[in-house]
Amino acid sequence: MKKLLIVDDEVEICEFLKSFFEDRDFKVATAVSGEDALRQVAVFQPHVVLLDIQMPGLDGLGALKKIRESYPKVKVIMVTAVETQDKIEEAMRLGADNYITKPLSLEYLEKDVQDKIDLLAKIA
Amino acid sequence: MPTGTGFTNNGKFDYQEVLRDVARSMVRLKRPDRLLKLITRFIDRQFGLTHTSLLILDSKKKRYEFVNSKGTGRLPANLVKFDPDHALIQWFSDPKKKQAISREYLFLSDVKKMLSRAEFRLASNSKSEQLAGVQKAMQNLKVELAVPGYFKDTLVGVLMLGRRLNGRCFAKQEVTFFQTLAHDCSMAVKTSEYNQSLLEQNRELERRLEEIEGMRRKEQRTYYEIMRSLAEEVHAKEPYTFGHVSEVERLGLMTARELGMDTVGRAKDIISAALILHDVGKIGIPDGILCKPGRLDPDEWAIMKTHVEKGAKILEPLTDFKKVREIILAHHERFDGSGYPHGLKGDQIPIEARIVSVVDSFHAIVSTRCYREGRSIEVAFDELQNCAGSQFDPVVVEAFISVLKKELQKKGKDFVLHHL
Repeated sequence: MKKLLIVDDEVEICEFLKSFFEDRDFKVATAVSGEDALRQVAVFQPHVVLLDIQMPGLDGLGALKKIRESYPKVKVIMVTAVETQDKIEEAMRLGADNYITKPLSLEYLEKDVQDKIDLLAKIA
Repeated sequence: MPTGTGFTNNGKFDYQEVLRDVARSMVRLKRPDRLLKLITRFIDRQFGLTHTSLLILDSKKKRYEFVNSKGTGRLPANLVKFDPDHALIQWFSDPKKKQAISREYLFLSDVKKMLSRAEFRLASNSKSEQLAGVQKAMQNLKVELAVPGYFKDTLVGVLMLGRRLNGRCFAKQEVTFFQTLAHDCSMAVKTSEYNQSLLEQNRELERRLEEIEGMRRKEQRTYYEIMRSLAEEVHAKEPYTFGHVSEVERLGLMTARELGMDTVGRAKDIISAALILHDVGKIGIPDGILCKPGRLDPDEWAIMKTHVEKGAKILEPLTDFKKVREIILAHHERFDGSGYPHGLKGDQIPIEARIVSVVDSFHAIVSTRCYREGRSIEVAFDELQNCAGSQFDPVVVEAFISVLKKELQKKGKDFVLHHL
């Protein structure tokens, strides 16, 4: 079963994307903060994480850093409204697998998540 | 336009009335975002849909974004976009082209029917691919009905409607009504964009004009400075015992003030420039004439007289100082009309020119020239008074003498002479 964790402090976004990916046979968990995300990564063990950057508390980049320390294999796609060059570079340096800016194309997001799943399957 | 005057949906509302409201709102609301919100909210309340969402073209970013979404199954704000090459946008983008199904609106159920038809299933052509993309997008967003809105031939927005909560289908009149609203939304967006771009263009124009004006002023300033040094040069050619253009300027300004004239800001700039530059035309007079010891013969005198016109000519590029040219041109006119170059009389001569004339003559009398020693201030005063009414304006002579006398009393003769 493909497992996806969606991290966004906006519950509506989490719910919308959850429903979207569940329709595509994903098992989906959601988190609304960086701390929450780290717990979910440990417990839910997702294949792919969609990670927002701007969140209260531990933000997306902080969470990304911690995820990379303990879970190097999980694919992390930054999904954020922030599109400044330095943030993009920082995310890539910290090991993000992609950086998608909101508003996004659902078709592209779906394809990118599926690509990451396929990649993991290939490695396995 | 909606059909059916007085059509009501179970007596719930009157389309005509609603349309009038919307039209009024469009006029009233300068900001289209409010109108779009109003329309979305209105549909949501009146029709009871899972969601009512409005996809609008952002011309600058060249993409379509959801600006509003209402209902229990609403789309999150700022999450989904459609690029212009998206199948749904492509499908609606050419309103003129005849298609298998109308591009005026699109029911998901119709799309499904279309795709299940043999011709679509068999032919894997670009149209079926496009339609499959449309279907997918509508399913992704749980949209049952999509209604495009155009401005001219540009697809400006798409009204995306979810399922009806009571399970009923949309009536033809309702679809027509949605088309009207989608059209209104597009109009509002484009009108506001147009106004916005006009505003921006105006601002840009104003900025550019200011920039040009600034450059022009700077250039004029530079030119003025060059003229000023030229004037100094002219005076240097005539070895005055004392005196300097700046002091001629000071005396003239004092006289103007004594006469109650405006001597601040632009008015001061004009008088100053005229006082400083009045003899700049002498730059075009041969040194042999300019500095000739003894009297000039009539031919030489005729050449000498041209310095006023030459001066005015030199100052032509100073468009800000048109008045200065007039003054310089008139500074050898005489009060009784016997001066040159035009023989102006009395108040035909600009007051500033009458001042320059008095100050200049005074200066000439007390200064030592190539051909004679400078005379005393008292002699100069006598001469000015003698010529008051013929060469000079008596009022200006009086003001000049009075202000200079005050200065003499206050600061002493030596001071005044040294500062002439």
